[in-house]
Amino acid sequence: MKFALPVIFGLLTVALLAVGAVHPSSTAPASSPEGAVQAMLANVQGHDWKDAYSYISPSSNVDLQDFVKDLNGRDGSLRTYSSLESFTTRPLHENDNQATVRTETKYSTAVGAFYDTRDLNVVKDNGQWKIVWAGEKTPTVPPQVIPVNYLRWDVIWRGAGDDWGSQNVENPHVRILSMNPVSQASGLSIMGEVENEDTVPAFVSVAATLVGKNGQDLGTESSFDRTSHVLLPKEISPYRIDFPGIKLTEVQSARMKPDSMLVPASADPVIGVMHQRIEKDAKGRSVLQGDLLNESGQIVNIPHVLATFYDNSGKVIWVSDGYVDHALLPQTPQGFAVSLSDDLAAKVHSYRVTVNQYSRDWQD
Amino acid sequence: MRKVALITLLILTCWFASDWARAADLKIPHNAVAGESLTLATSGSGDATLILVGPGEVVKRSIRLGEDVQIKPEELRHAGRWIAIVRGGSGPQSQAFWVSPGKPDQLSFLARPSRVPVNRPGVISGVAFVFDKNRNLVPQPTPVEFSLSVGGSGAKQSVKSSNGIAWVKSSSARKAGAAQFVASAGDASVRRVVQQVASDPCNLRMKVEQKSKDHVVLVTDPIRDCTGNPVPDGTIVTFIETDKTGKSVVDARIKKGIARAEMPASENANVTIAAGVVLGNELHIGGGE
Amino acid sequence: MSSPSISMARQVPLLQRPVPLSWILLLALIVHGPLLLMQLPNGSYDANLHKFFASHYAQHWFNPWNTKQFTGFSQTTYPPMEQQWVALFSHVIGLNLAYMLVQFVAILLLPIGVYRYAKIWVNERAASYAALGSVLLGSLAFLVYNAGQLSTTWAAPLYLLALPYYYEWAREANWRSLLKGLVLLFAAASAHHVTLIFASFIFALPVLAMAIMDRHREPAHASLGGVISRSVIFAVLAIAGVFVVLMPFWMEILINPIKQMTIPHASRDNYILQPIWGMNYFIVPWGAIILSIPYIFIKGLKEARLRPLFLGFWVAMLFALGGTTPVPKWILGRAFDVLTFERFSLLAHVLALPIIGLMVCDLIDHYGRKAAFVTGALAALTFGFAVSWPVYFQNHDPDFNVSEVVSFLNRDGHDKFRYITLGFGSHKFDEVSTYTTASSVDGDYNSARLLPELTQYGSAQLTNSKYFGANGMESLRAVLRHADQYGLKWIFVHDTFYEPLLAFGGWRKTETYDRGSVTLWVKDGIPPAHPMPYQQSMKPTEIEGIMWGTLPFGSSLLALILALALPDKRRRGADTYEFPISESEPVLREAR
Repeated sequence: MKFALPVIFGLLTVALLAVGAVHPSSTAPASSPEGAVQAMLANVQGHDWKDAYSYISPSSNVDLQDFVKDLNGRDGSLRTYSSLESFTTRPLHENDNQATVRTETKYSTAVGAFYDTRDLNVVKDNGQWKIVWAGEKTPTVPPQVIPVNYLRWDVIWRGAGDDWGSQNVENPHVRILSMNPVSQASGLSIMGEVENEDTVPAFVSVAATLVGKNGQDLGTESSFDRTSHVLLPKEISPYRIDFPGIKLTEVQSARMKPDSMLVPASADPVIGVMHQRIEKDAKGRSVLQGDLLNESGQIVNIPHVLATFYDNSGKVIWVSDGYVDHALLPQTPQGFAVSLSDDLAAKVHSYRVTVNQYSRDWQD
Repeated sequence: MRKVALITLLILTCWFASDWARAADLKIPHNAVAGESLTLATSGSGDATLILVGPGEVVKRSIRLGEDVQIKPEELRHAGRWIAIVRGGSGPQSQAFWVSPGKPDQLSFLARPSRVPVNRPGVISGVAFVFDKNRNLVPQPTPVEFSLSVGGSGAKQSVKSSNGIAWVKSSSARKAGAAQFVASAGDASVRRVVQQVASDPCNLRMKVEQKSKDHVVLVTDPIRDCTGNPVPDGTIVTFIETDKTGKSVVDARIKKGIARAEMPASENANVTIAAGVVLGNELHIGGGE
Repeated sequence: MSSPSISMARQVPLLQRPVPLSWILLLALIVHGPLLLMQLPNGSYDANLHKFFASHYAQHWFNPWNTKQFTGFSQTTYPPMEQQWVALFSHVIGLNLAYMLVQFVAILLLPIGVYRYAKIWVNERAASYAALGSVLLGSLAFLVYNAGQLSTTWAAPLYLLALPYYYEWAREANWRSLLKGLVLLFAAASAHHVTLIFASFIFALPVLAMAIMDRHREPAHASLGGVISRSVIFAVLAIAGVFVVLMPFWMEILINPIKQMTIPHASRDNYILQPIWGMNYFIVPWGAIILSIPYIFIKGLKEARLRPLFLGFWVAMLFALGGTTPVPKWILGRAFDVLTFERFSLLAHVLALPIIGLMVCDLIDHYGRKAAFVTGALAALTFGFAVSWPVYFQNHDPDFNVSEVVSFLNRDGHDKFRYITLGFGSHKFDEVSTYTTASSVDGDYNSARLLPELTQYGSAQLTNSKYFGANGMESLRAVLRHADQYGLKWIFVHDTFYEPLLAFGGWRKTETYDRGSVTLWVKDGIPPAHPMPYQQSMKPTEIEGIMWGTLPFGSSLLALILALALPDKRRRGADTYEFPISESEPVLREAR
């Protein structure tokens, strides 16, 4: 009897530990197609690649290494800078032996959250639901030499010991070609295009300050990543500056502040934007999609697509952007899609896509 | 007796005053020039200290009154108002004098802008400041010659400085290149570079260079501005191909005077070309131009 | 403060005697002295945060508004006592050594506190073993050399020192005890607010139970009503005093209640499912104490006197297990996601030590020197392993040099603009903040954050953004988008992960430092930084500044003065003796 209390507390402690540790096995057979997908993604979330791979059907014909690369990225792409943060799944259709499950995944990446939608086929394999993984087929480019007339600008700045009269190299001349405020439920956006009029590369950023009816400043925002910052001579970039929570009726005017700076720059890489068209995606939303083609010989790690939409009077009515989570390999097309709302899609008369990029090699 | 004492006192006072005045007598030449030696004559007797206070400069020297004092050129570098102070046994005395700048020897030259489109009137300005060898501004009118040349050809203009400053305004040349903008006065000469760059492309034209099953290579004629200067390499030229599969765009860079782009092959496509806000010709692929 | 004497028991074998407190303090000096002289805590997680706060007090003792982080924040959000001591000593021996000195004082106070606290429950010999064990606690080593929790290591012993006075006051109505107990409590509160809140339940409730159980124990003859009424008086005075002493702290909480999103922390994980964190937060700090858990359960629950102590220990242990059991979540609710749980191991150990002291006595009585050797060796191994653990488990990047970063910010008017660091970790970021004159948008102490870009997302420091997933990166994006407003021009990067965002956001890489391990990214066209508009209403008033500079520090000073001016009377009658009491011959002293 004298050990009753210690035993009770001992058991209570063990019970509490057990309650906290109750957790389904990470490789337990899935009882449903959705369960298989959820278990696989949960393992991906925990970077348990081997356990995630155990839910892949052998008929997928993909080995563990390629499976990991598909999920974890390759060639320094945005996916290599990301991790799966959350996901939702929804069965689209299901029968006794086969099902399709839609996954909507949210990745945490180096440039912010990245959302992806993918439909996965799930099949019954020896009584267990397994995912048919459509592995990414990386097209092989035949060995070749791509001649590059390597063009870049270097700048010699005025030195500390220079005569006070010696002028510094002048900053490039940039011009805001258009500016259009668009009011939406979430706030006000100012968008348009900016051109580097000069003959040297410019590092450009566009900011705007909204002035209220009483002349007071309502807020200052910048285009941040919704513009291309390095503009080569005669290059035109769209920009969009968002002012959340501000209504157009509150605004009297806007002060635009384009800043330009002469910077050393490279004229490469050249990225072509092929087969651009507005279509509906799997979810029925309007998207502008197409292919990016890296015409240079080096890998572009993170492409960033900026799409400018014009109405029939040539006015910029929206600027949309999106990162591509795959690297652009030389001479290899890579798909992209940029969303736009359906009511906007109806007004779009033409559009223009430009590509901003980050490449580790060129960055250094 | 009172009169004698009064007269004696008066004589003594006059003698003392004249002696005191004589002790601090300084003679300074009127034509002191910066960077040249200067001789000061003193009168009186005994040891004294000479202090010269000038713009940004002080000279202190022990002297013997009654002897000439030599000020070295390197001690008298700055032009402007100077004060000479002598401190002897009978109290200090000061005298102000002016030091004028020396001969024109150096120029400071401000040329604006560093980069300018060709064939623009009155866009280049040059301002020259005339200094002597000690960097004193020389206010005397001095002829300054400005020359602006590109590739050996150019123009010269001579301007007389006013209060040490000479300036000129010039138009950019019709020819692109690094213009040598030179200002010279006497032996002094300063060179600046004004980059004269081509204007917007003019008469932008492209053609099909190569065509295969998968792609078509488009190339422009040498791209020049309206005065015939080649548009700088690196300038963006946009090729736009529109067919039934959508729109394909390549922002090509001018390299060695031409732009080249590889577009998807199509049986029926329109191709346009633009550089900045300037449009070029249009091609129809599949049915000829 | 009473210390066990050896004169009375000179004939008793060494191992049967209480260990003199002076020997225990000497052991603390021998063990911790060299480690502190080597400045080992410099690499600990929070040490630089305390030094950063201290450096501000060193320059602005009466102005708790610090502009070097969060574009400006009030240091009244964190009790200041130990940091002010560091600030004071830093004028003489420099910031790093001052930190070591103040940490050493806390280490010395712990065995004294444990000894006095343990004596409420166990005899002098067991209490001395408990005090001896406290010097070699793995949890203490973890907090001092790994976590850098100067505040907890100060507050806990002060609390332990205060509670025996409360015990005396409740039973004996001794006014001196009331005074000393209250002043020590104020000092403990001035050291750490979180420890104050939890210690009030975990440490104090067992003492209240003991005061009731011992109300008739010599020399007290108190009634139940008397004990309870005196406890209420003590509690009321304590609450009122703590409110006054930390008035600016409460005002700050009142004006800016902590509304920010929860921030993940590994100490909230399930240690069974995440074994690495179980190792880090449980196995390493607990060490050999894990072996004594069965004894603690049996002894602590078998003896009625020890049950309140055991219950305190049990609750503290469940908290120390973080998210391993659901109990902390049930009790704390949303606060579970705000707290970190590594500190509870020390609290649990302090409560277990009196029982462990009894265990050691039993073992030595049965097995003599062998037991003494084995228990001593286990304690030493526990301590050694906990001190060396960061060598084997590096949860932050290898050290790198930030002097060039500091030099850049401090020269040529660069401090006109604000800066942030990315990938530096909070430890290195605090070091930069301490020595630079520039202001940062980022900050380390989460509860002091006011900027909406920081509080609206579930992430902590910007420098660690990537570890907080999409929330962290969105928070960073939000700050970068408003770089113009904050005058944020300079970004120092120690992790290439952040480079794409900076490149796309309009920053340019311009310089590299420390052989390329740090790069400077610059954005052009940023206007110089200016004080943020919200700051005018958030700044503590001058009176609050004076209160903050005097009352918390003053309470620790007063506690010191009272300890010297009103020494405890030695009362052997109150000691707990085990039966049978060994008879010893009277000691004959030479007449001099």
